[in-house]
Amino acid sequence: MGILDEKFLPPDDMPEFHRPFWEALKAHRLEAQECENGHLRFIPTEICPRCGSQDWTWRRLSGRGSIYTFTVVHRAPTPAYQADAPYVVAHVELEEGIRVIGNVTGCEPGAVHIGMPVEVAFEDVSERWTLYSFTPREAA
Amino acid sequence: MASFRRRKAVIAGVHMTEQGDLSGASPQQVYWQVVKGAVADAGLQLSDVDGLIGPAPEGLGLRGTLPGAAMADLLGRPLRFQAYTSVGAASTAAGIGPGIWAIENGVADVVILPTVSAGKGSGYTSADRGAAIAHMAKLGTPYEWLWGTTRVADHAVIAQRHMHQYGTTSEQLAEVAVAQRHGATLHPLSVMGRKGEITVDDVLASRMVAEPLHLLDSCIVNQGAGCIVVAAEDRLERARPRIRMIGYGQSHAYLDPNHLPDLTTFHGDVASDTAFGVAGIGRDEIDVISISDHFTINVIVGLEEAGFCKKGEGGPFVEGGALRIDGRLPTNTAGGYLSCTHAANSGTFGLIELVEQLRGSAGARQVTDAKLGYIHGVGGVFQSHFAAVLARD
Ligand SMILES: [Zn+2]
Repeated sequence: MGILDEKFLPPDDMPEFHRPFWEALKAHRLEAQECENGHLRFIPTEICPRCGSQDWTWRRLSGRGSIYTFTVVHRAPTPAYQADAPYVVAHVELEEGIRVIGNVTGCEPGAVHIGMPVEVAFEDVSERWTLYSFTPREAA
Repeated sequence: MASFRRRKAVIAGVHMTEQGDLSGASPQQVYWQVVKGAVADAGLQLSDVDGLIGPAPEGLGLRGTLPGAAMADLLGRPLRFQAYTSVGAASTAAGIGPGIWAIENGVADVVILPTVSAGKGSGYTSADRGAAIAHMAKLGTPYEWLWGTTRVADHAVIAQRHMHQYGTTSEQLAEVAVAQRHGATLHPLSVMGRKGEITVDDVLASRMVAEPLHLLDSCIVNQGAGCIVVAAEDRLERARPRIRMIGYGQSHAYLDPNHLPDLTTFHGDVASDTAFGVAGIGRDEIDVISISDHFTINVIVGLEEAGFCKKGEGGPFVEGGALRIDGRLPTNTAGGYLSCTHAANSGTFGLIELVEQLRGSAGARQVTDAKLGYIHGVGGVFQSHFAAVLARD
C-alpha cells in the first residue's frame, strides 16, 4: 500500500516516551507530560525545555480550549484526505496553556474563527489507534 | 611557511542552469554542468576546486554519507574541505559562512556550493507531483500530518494568525507576489516570467489552496540547479567587482509548532542581528535583499524577522510596490521562489541574484548603484534561519 492510498496512521516505530500519549487516547483521555516542577509540555519530549528535568508524569487534560489559529484546506496532501476537503486544521489553545493541532468537525468550515471555544472528541479508527478532533462547545 | 590567516575570500562565481522540468536529464550531468559554469564564471578551472559545501553527485555506496571522499574520486585528487549546513531550503546558501571560514583560515582555496534537482527523483523530490506533495506533507511529526496538513497549510495558519493579530490583509500578501512577478518577467531563466505580469486581483482570484493562501501566494514546484564559488582573492585573476560577505549569523528557533509560544514570531532576529552586528552597518544602508519566500506571508514575516520593520508592520511595509526593483526596498528581484525558481536548495538562487545585483550585472533587473545586499534564508516553517550581509568593494 502506498502513501497515496489511505489516510495516514501514527508510525509503529515511535520513541518509547511518545507511547503513553497514544495509550491514553485509546482510553479516550488527552494527556500531556508534566515535570516535577509543574511544567506542562506537548508534543512529548525526553527533557523539560523549561527546567531540564528528565522526570515526568502524565497529566490528564480537560480537552477544552479555544482556536488559536486555523486554516481551511482545499488542496489536501493525498486523495484520501482530498475526499474530506474543504476541512479545517486548527491549532487549539487548551485551558492548561498548551497548544494541540487537530481537525475541527461538527460545524461548517466557514463558521470556524479564532477564539472559538472547542472541546476534544475521540474516534477509534482501528483496533490499535484512537485519534482526536475538536468540536464547537458553548463558552463557559 | 607562509601564514594563510586573514586571507581574504570573495564570492567569485555564480551560475544557474535552465529551471523547470529537468526530469529528462541525469542529476550527475546537471551537477557537473552547473559546477563547471560557476567555476568558469569565477575565471577558474575545475582543477582549482579543493572544497565542497553540500553533497557530491548522487551515486552508489557511500557517496551520500562521505561526499568529500566521493569528490576525491571524481576530481582525481584529495579534497581539502567538506561541510554541511542545515537550514532546509537555504542549506546550500547558508554554507557561504563555513565556505568563507575555510578560505580565510587557509583550509581551502576554492570552495563550491552546488545544489541540483534533476532526473526522476523520489520522495519529496519526485518528478511525480502528487507523490512529492504527499511526501512533503509528512516532513513534520504525526501530531501535525495525521490531520491532513500540507506545506501550504503549515504557512496558512501563520498567515491567519498574523492577520488576526496585526490586521494584515490578503491584498498586502498579494502585493508581494505582484512585485516579484515583475522581476521574473525581466529574468531570462525564470519559470513564471514568460507568463507575464500579474495584479493583486489576479492573486485574489486564483484558486484557494489553504485559507488564506491562494495558488498565486504559493511558490512554484520545479527542478533546476545553481552553484556558487567562494575563492581566495589571491587565486583570482579576472578583473571584476569583488563581492564579499561582511556579516553572517544563524538562528535555529524551534521544531514543533506547539513549542513556540507565538506563531508570528520565529527568532529570525537572532540571525539577522548577529549578521548586522558583525557587518557594523544598519538596515537602512541596504540596497537590495533576498528573503526566502515559500509563500507571500514568508516575505512579510521575513521582513519583520530580519528587522526591516517592526513585528506586525510587514503588511503595510509592502504596500505601494515597496518591494519592486524601483521600490523602497527591492526584494527577491529575480522573482524568488514564487516566480523565478524553487528548485533544490532554492535559497541558492536568492544568493546568486544578490551577487548579480552587487556586481551590476543584473541587466533589466538592475537596482541602481546597489552596493550592499542582505539575504535572509529560512529552513522549514521559519524553523531555522541564516542571515548574511554582502558588500561590493
Ligand atoms: Zn520543568
